Amino acid sequence: MRILVRVLPFLLFAFLLVPAAGAATDAATCLSCHESMEGSVKVEKEKYSKSVHGSFDCVMCHMTPKGDQHQGLVGSTPDKAVKDLAQEISPKGLKDPIAQAACVTCHPDQYAAYTKSIHGQNIITKKSSDGPVCTSCHGSPHYIEARPSAASKVYLYNIVISCGSCHEEKHLIEKYHFSPLVMERYQESFHGRKLLLGHTGAPSCASCHGAHDIVSVKDPASPVGSVEAKKKTCGKCHPGATDKFVAAITHQPLHPIAHWTEIGLIILTVSVFVFIIVHVLLDIFADIRDRLFRKGGGH
Amino acid sequence: MDKNIPQEIERFDVSARTQHIIMFVTFLLLSFTGWGLKYAGAVPSSAWIKVWGGPKIAGIIHRVAGIIMLLDFIYHQFYLLNLWRKKDLRLTIIPMPKDIVDLVHNFMYYFGLRKEKPYFRKFTYLQKFDYWAVYWGMFIIGTSGFFLAFPVTVSVLFPTFTLGWIWDVVFIMHSDEALLAIVFILIIHFYNEHLRSEHFPMNWLWLTGKMSTETLKHHHPAEYDYLFGKDGKYKG
Repeated sequence: MRILVRVLPFLLFAFLLVPAAGAATDAATCLSCHESMEGSVKVEKEKYSKSVHGSFDCVMCHMTPKGDQHQGLVGSTPDKAVKDLAQEISPKGLKDPIAQAACVTCHPDQYAAYTKSIHGQNIITKKSSDGPVCTSCHGSPHYIEARPSAASKVYLYNIVISCGSCHEEKHLIEKYHFSPLVMERYQESFHGRKLLLGHTGAPSCASCHGAHDIVSVKDPASPVGSVEAKKKTCGKCHPGATDKFVAAITHQPLHPIAHWTEIGLIILTVSVFVFIIVHVLLDIFADIRDRLFRKGGGH
Repeated sequence: MDKNIPQEIERFDVSARTQHIIMFVTFLLLSFTGWGLKYAGAVPSSAWIKVWGGPKIAGIIHRVAGIIMLLDFIYHQFYLLNLWRKKDLRLTIIPMPKDIVDLVHNFMYYFGLRKEKPYFRKFTYLQKFDYWAVYWGMFIIGTSGFFLAFPVTVSVLFPTFTLGWIWDVVFIMHSDEALLAIVFILIIHFYNEHLRSEHFPMNWLWLTGKMSTETLKHHHPAEYDYLFGKDGKYKG
C-alpha cells in the first residue's frame, strides 16, 4: 500500500501526459477553484503547500469527488481497508468519510490503535457522533505541520486546548460523566503551568493518558487506571514514584481541607495587605503633616 | 551633643549584614522565577520566564536559591546561638506587650491624638513583624518548597489519611504565602527602607551596619536611652 502511495503521484502525473484520460487531477487543478472559495470547502494554497501533506494530490484522500462540478474527475479507487473504515466511522456524520478513512493508508498503526480506543469505540460501537476522528485533534490535514511546530494542534500546550475542546464542553461533561474540573485542575497544576510556559519536559494530557490508544481511567488497561499503573506512568519522569506520591494528581475538585486552607490563606494575605497599606498611607500623611505644620516636631 | 556619645552606633555586625544580603538576593531570585510559574496563565509570563533562561533553567535557579535561603536561615540560628554563648544576645526582637501599646500610640500619633511618636525600643513592632515573618515564611514556604522539590522522597512521610488533600495544601501554602511575603516586602520594607524621604533611594544601613546616633534618638528613643542613659551619659 505504501509503495502505491509513493508511486501514485507519478501515476497521476502520467495521466496528464495522456490527454484522453480525462480531466487533470493534480492539486493545482482543484486549488484553482477551491483556494478562492468560502467556508469549509476553501483550501488555503500557501498553507497547504507548506504542510506535511502539501505534495499530495487532492484525490489521494478525496477519492470520490461528488457533484456535477467534479464530473470527469477521476479519483483513486478506495481499497477495502479504507472502505471498511469509512463505513465504521459513518456515525460521525462526516461529509466525506472516505477522505477521513484515507489516513489509514499511510498511518495504519495509529488508526488501528484509535479504532480500539474509547474515542474510536464511541463512534464505531456506540454509533455516536460525539467521538473525535483524526481531524478533531490534529486539525485539517491540509495544514498539518511537521512536529515540533507551534502551529501543530498536538504540540505542547496546544494538545491540552485540543482535548479541552470536548472535555470542557458542559453537555459532553454531563453526557459522559467526565471529571468536571479536569481542565481547570490540570491547568493550575505544576504540569499544566510548566507546559504553558513552554517546558518541553512537562506532561500534557496524552503523556499520561495515552493518545491514539486512549481508554477510560476506569479501564484497567489505562496507564493511569490503577495505583500500580500510575506508579509506572509517573515513574517515567519521577523515578521511584511511590503509592503516596502518585496520589498527588487526581484532577478532582479540591478536598474541603485544601479548599478552606486556601480561603484561610487568602483572608490572611488580604488582611495583612490592607493593614500594611493603611499603615504606610497613614505614615505618609503624618510625615507630610509634620513637615508642613510641626517643623521638627513629633519626634 | 555629649562628647562621650559616638556619632554612630553599629546596629548590625558583618555576619548579620551578610545574612541579610544572602536572604534578599535569594528572595528576589525566588520571587522573580516563582512569579512566572504562579501566573503562568498571564500573558507576559512566558516572556518573563525566557528572561530567566526558560522554564527548565528558571526551575533550577528557584531550587538552588531556595536551598541557599534555607541554609542562610539555619546559619542564622547558629549565629544566635553563638551570640548567646558569648552572652551578647539581647532579646530585643522578641514581641512584647509594649508592642501593642506602641501600635496604639503610633496610630494615635497618626491621627493627631498624641504629639509624640511611640517610645520605640531597638526594634519597632513593624521591624519585629518583618523579622518573624521570615520564620513564618521559612516554616510555611520553606517546608512546602522542600516537599515540592523532592516530592517522591518526601511522599513516604505523609500519613495515608492526608493523601486526599496534602499535595494541594502544600502547593497552596507555597504559592499563597510566597505572594504574602512578596506583597509584604514590596510595601512595608520598600517603603520604610527605600521610599521614605529620609532614606531615598535606600537606607545604607544594609551595607554599613551603622546608624547615626541622631537617627537612633529619633526612631528608637528607648534604645538611645538604654545605650546612653536618659541624661545623655554613655553607659557602655
